[in-house]
Order: sequence, then C-alpha cells, then structure tokens
Amino acid sequence: MNNGKRLERYAELAVRVGANVQPGQEVFVQPMVEHAELGRALVRQAYEAGASYVHVIYRDEHVRHAMIGRGPDSALTYSPAWEKALIEAESGNASIGTMGRPEPQLLADLDGERVGRAIKLEIAEIVQRQHRENTVNWCGIGAPNDGWARQIFGEPDVERLWDKVAFCMRLDEPDPVAAWQEHLARLEARAGTLTALRPDALHYRGPGTDLTVGLLATARWGSARFRTSGGIDYVANMPTEEIFTTPDSRRAEGTIRSSLPLSLNGQIIRGLEFTFEDGRIVGVEAEQGAELVRSQLATSENADRLGELALVTKESRVGQSGTLFFDTLFDENATCHIAYGMGLPYAFDGEPDEGSNVCNIHIDFMVGGPELEVDAVMADGSEAPLIRDEEWQLPAA
Amino acid sequence: MDERLERYAELVVRVGANVQPGQELFLFPAVEQHDLARALTRQAYRAGASYVHVLYADAHARRAMIERGPDEALSYSPDWLKALIESCSGNALIATTTDPEPDLLADLEGERVGRAVQHEIWAMRLQQLSDNVVNWCGIGAPSESWARQAYGEPDVDRLWNEVAFCMRLDEANPTAAWEEHLARLEARTARLNALRADAIRYRGPGTDLTVGLLPYAAWMSGASETTAGIRYVANMPTEEVFTSPDAQRTEGTIRQTLPLPLSGQVVRGLELTFEQGRVVRVEAETGGDLVRSHFASIENADRLGEIALVTGESRVGRTGTIFYDPLYDENASCHMAYGAALPFLLEGEPDEGFNTANIHVDFMVGGPELEVDAVLADGTEVPLIRNEEWQLA
Repeated sequence: MNNGKRLERYAELAVRVGANVQPGQEVFVQPMVEHAELGRALVRQAYEAGASYVHVIYRDEHVRHAMIGRGPDSALTYSPAWEKALIEAESGNASIGTMGRPEPQLLADLDGERVGRAIKLEIAEIVQRQHRENTVNWCGIGAPNDGWARQIFGEPDVERLWDKVAFCMRLDEPDPVAAWQEHLARLEARAGTLTALRPDALHYRGPGTDLTVGLLATARWGSARFRTSGGIDYVANMPTEEIFTTPDSRRAEGTIRSSLPLSLNGQIIRGLEFTFEDGRIVGVEAEQGAELVRSQLATSENADRLGELALVTKESRVGQSGTLFFDTLFDENATCHIAYGMGLPYAFDGEPDEGSNVCNIHIDFMVGGPELEVDAVMADGSEAPLIRDEEWQLPAA
Repeated sequence: MDERLERYAELVVRVGANVQPGQELFLFPAVEQHDLARALTRQAYRAGASYVHVLYADAHARRAMIERGPDEALSYSPDWLKALIESCSGNALIATTTDPEPDLLADLEGERVGRAVQHEIWAMRLQQLSDNVVNWCGIGAPSESWARQAYGEPDVDRLWNEVAFCMRLDEANPTAAWEEHLARLEARTARLNALRADAIRYRGPGTDLTVGLLPYAAWMSGASETTAGIRYVANMPTEEVFTSPDAQRTEGTIRQTLPLPLSGQVVRGLELTFEQGRVVRVEAETGGDLVRSHFASIENADRLGEIALVTGESRVGRTGTIFYDPLYDENASCHMAYGAALPFLLEGEPDEGFNTANIHVDFMVGGPELEVDAVLADGTEVPLIRNEEWQLA
C-alpha cells in the first residue's frame, strides 16, 4: 500500500469508526502543526463522510513553551473568549484530536511548577461539562512523525512507527471496520461480566504496589465505545484495549508504582509512586518529573484523587507490539492503568455518583506488567482474581 | 535559535505591529510558517505581550473544503472565528502573506474558488480597519517554497538576503533606518495631498486609464496610528504612497505588469476595461475565471478601491526579483486594487464614490514605460512618475 493511500485509509477509519462523523455535522480537527499531513487527510475524509464544515485548529507546543517560559502569570490559566466559543461549538458536533508529540521533552527546561499550573481553567470546565452531558462524538488518534519515532526508536524511523500504528489500529486486517466491531464486542463482553460481578473494590498487588480502591455501585465497566446524548456511537480512543470504570474517589488506600514512563506536558515522568490515605494522595515520589506532578496536585482541586481504573491484558495489540510509545493514548492501552483527576462520566448511565471525582485534569499512568495481580474484592471480603500474568481470569457469565 | 529569524521577528514586533506591554497579539500564519510564528511569539512576550494567540491557516484544508464540501461551506463564517476577530480590537495583529503553495487551488473550479469568501469575517475585518483599533502588520515568511517561486530553486539564503535588504535589516540600526524611510515617504504624501488633484492618469503599453480622486480621501504612506494613539507600520516592507479613488470615475484600460498569486491560482496578463467606474471587460492569460467570479459573486468587486504609487528607489524594486507575493511585488511597482476602499484614509463623510466590497485584491501595473500624471481640476496635467522616478518636487 502506498503511503498516501495508507494515510487516507487511516483517516477514514478515524472519521467513520472513531468519531463516526454524521452527514451535516461540523467537525473540529485539532492536530499539532507537525501533524499537518494527517490533519489534512482527516479534513478530506470528514467531507467525504458528509461533514457540513471542517474546522482545523492547529496546536503548537513551541508557542506554549514561549507562553510558559516568557509570558506573564496571568497567561498560564487564560481562556480566550474565542476559544471558549470554539469549544462550545463542538457540542452536537464531531471532534478529532491527534496525539504523538514531535518533541516529547520540549518543556523539560521550564519551571515544572509553571508547567503544572498552565491549564486553561474556564475551557477545562466547558470540556468537563461536555463530557458529562456527552454531546460530542470525539476520537483521539496517533499521528506518526519523525520526532515521535525518534523518541521511541532512537532514530526518526517513521516508517517503522507507521507499521506499529497500523498494527495497533487493525489496518492490517482486510476489513478494518469489521475487525474493530468484533474487537469492541469482545471488550464489551468482558466489561459486562465484571459489572455483573458487582465487586466492592479492586486490589492491586505487585512490586512496590499494594493498593485497594473502592468501587461505586452505580458505575459500570465499559469499553471506550460511547454514545452521545443525541444517540451517535463513537470510539473515543483509537487504539483502545481497555475496560474501565470510575472508582469511588473517597476510597483508596496503599501504594501504587507506575510501570512505564509517562509523557506528560512536554516532560517525561519516570518511576512515579503514589501513596494514598482516605482516597487522597499523600506522597509523590518519582525518579524524574516529580515536581510537575506535585504542581498539578497542588494547583488543580481534587487532582489528588483517582478518576479512572482500567484493565488491559496481553491480547492488547499495543502490548503485543512490544513498543513503548511514550504517548499515553498508546501506552495506556498496552497495560493496566489508573488516572488521577476527573472521574469519567461515561461510566454512569445517569448522573455521575457523588463519589465520582470532579477535577479539571485527568492524567493516566501505567501500572500493569507481568507481576501485577488484580483482584476483585467482594462485599463479603472474598477476592476473585481478575488478572494474573497479564491474562484475564474471570469466566464469562 | 536562528538569529536571523529572531532579529526579523523583533523588528516586526517592535516597529511593525509595535506591540505594547499588556496587549494581546494575534498571529495569522500558514501552518508551514511555524518557525516564524514561534519567533514572533517569543519576541512578543519579550515586548510585554500579555498573551499571544496563534491561528494557523491551512490551504490544504481550504482546498478540501472547496473541492469536497457543500455549497454553504464556501462562505461560512464560524461564530468562534467572529469572536476571535472581535477580540483583535484594541490589540495587536501580525499576518503573513506568502502563500506556501500558490498553485494549490489551480485545478479547482475557478467559480467555486472565487465564491469561497467568509463574508461576515471580511465585513468585520473591514470595520476594524475603518475603526482603526488594531495595530497590525503584514509581513512575508521566507521559506524554501517561497524561494522556489521567486527563483525557480529553493535558495532560502538568497531569499533571506533579499528580504533582509527590503526590510533594512542590513542596516546597522534597522529601527533608525525605518524612521528615516518613513519620513521620506511622508514628505511625498504631504506634497500629493497639497496638490489636490482631481484624477490620476496612467499611460503605458496596453494602458490608458483615468481614475477620479475623492476630496475626502487622503494620500497615505508607511506609518499609521490607531485611535488609541499606537503608531504602527501596516506593511513591511512598504514603499508606496496610496489612496482610495472615486470608484464611480474610472475610464479606460489598465494592463497588469507582474503576475499575481491569488487564492491558489496565478493571475497573469490581466487587462481590465472600465466604463463609468465599473469593469466591463476582463482579459487574462491565466486566472481570468477567478477574477470574473469575484466580479460576479461579490458586490462592487468590479470597482477600484485603491491606487498606489511606487518609484525606482524602492528596495523591493531594486532587488529586481519578482517575489510572487503581493506584499513584496506591490512595493516594487505602482499598483491598484479592485474591491474595498481603505476606510482609514477617510477625512470626511464617504459617499457612493468610496467603494465597499468584501474583498480587496492588489495587482501590479508599474514598470519603466508607465507614465503617471496628476490631472488638476482645471484639466492641466502634472507629471508624477516618469521612468520609475518621482517627478513632484
């Protein structure tokens, strides 16, 4: 397959299966400037799918670097009026974001405290409301580029990265759309079994890890296939290999150690370790990047509580690729992960439970690996194994 | 960090837009021009900007819209973009002109390309120009693709040298050199305004055109001032003295002398014939359909909005290069524009002679053989330009 055709097929999959753009919808494409090639293919495919208009808003990490490095304090959290109008306009429409930082450590020379504070607060609130009301059919996908390939392989072998991405995206299948439907059905069956089990908590055990997290009776387990309030099915992340829920943010006890590096806000966090008491993070340690994480926890209210638990096993195509992508979209689908910050409204059929965390950030970090054991803790205290040796243990109901 | 780029950006931020401490700056580059956009962002924060907004344009997205989008997409003005334009009021703005791929839309239907104008956005921008509430500057963005357009090869160093020459960055003190240059243009402007001519007459190969002038529209050049008193240079480089003519009094024919990249096509050999102010005939070697589509779909696009005089001292002209960028090429040579008149020239109440349109397209008409005269009210003619030299003492 020639490269142009691969790009169009990839964009088509993101438009048709991911965001599931409906005829007459407007589409908001938000690539980084280095992702222009994919951004353009997404625009073409969105019009092919019947979009009434495609907005392209490029993000530039260097502009952000200058703002954090040289701008006044007030710039850090400023939400421009036009950007609020832009985000509001996404309601009822489709949105596609592209991931894969060309310079994953671009912001590493900046003051971590300022990087952590740099959140457009009012915009974050609008986005949270949109998630809660589920009014946008959106999808995040990766955009292979030289810099990202260099971070992964030590050389800008973007062809190799494309092969990996195509594998994770099931583009190697003769009918990728059918392969995706089958894959999502498998994940949803697993989620259904776990929801039916009704455990009270999850227990994680592994090297450096012994953590119990309470679950909410009202929260389901689900895949990343959601349905908007307007009835449009979409897949919010591609690839996706997880089943996830929103935990009880008031009940987390113990310690958890991150098992993979985390590319966060232009820095790379390594060896992250959290200690929880009464649901709150009381200790943050890291080999690298602890300051940035501490700044986030200090700046954003309730960032020190958990917002997501996600289970991934070794059938994961991302995991099978054997690649550390240095990008959360991919790495969180290689292995089990947890997020601090905002609880995901998608886990609830109605209004989110009051135990679901309210926060303006949501940061996933990876905790899975061959030695991690995950158990469901039942109301009576008995434990049912969920994951051993990265394999799913719970028989279908 | 590229020193050349930073010095260029600093000049544009300080002398061009003249970004004031506490102002927000809005940047409108093409996505291919991100290196320059980043340098401008850095320099703006150094100059004390409170926030820098960067809105990248992508001609490929525009191409997809024209080619594959529905009809109503062509002229759609999104609310968020209107909010963005509104926010420019009271703030600074820098736009880049160079089209990274000037032929990108050449194979599309000219009629659809011509209709693809965001009318509401245009109206807002023209209102802002008229209210004069934005300190803004338009500049070029050197790149391999621009170099290829200008020289037929991607010689970016040569392009940078010529851009630096046109921008007076070769001077020991570029800011002082700009002050001197702006004063020189200002003297020429004052002389023309004092003359109170009734019309301008152009004569040359294929050209014999008379354009009426308006008593309430002044000649202007180089530096301007916002209503809040911030001085700015709207185009860098700038070599022109310009005004908006009486759109009801244009008679005769004018021939374009330099090619014009426009909406992803290149207009060459354009010849417009006017009767009673309106274009009655359009001829062109290439791009004629696009221009005709403007005239057909945009009200009053078929009348003139600007005439501008440029002489042989022009640094742009002295490079001898055709830059394929109107910002540069219009400063090499005399030019005029069809479409909107320039509201900031007004010194009194406008009447029907002052053109209103949702477009403004400059095209070049100057050259060694072009003669320009001022026609006074009593019919006498005063030479303004001969052999590309200024004649009015």
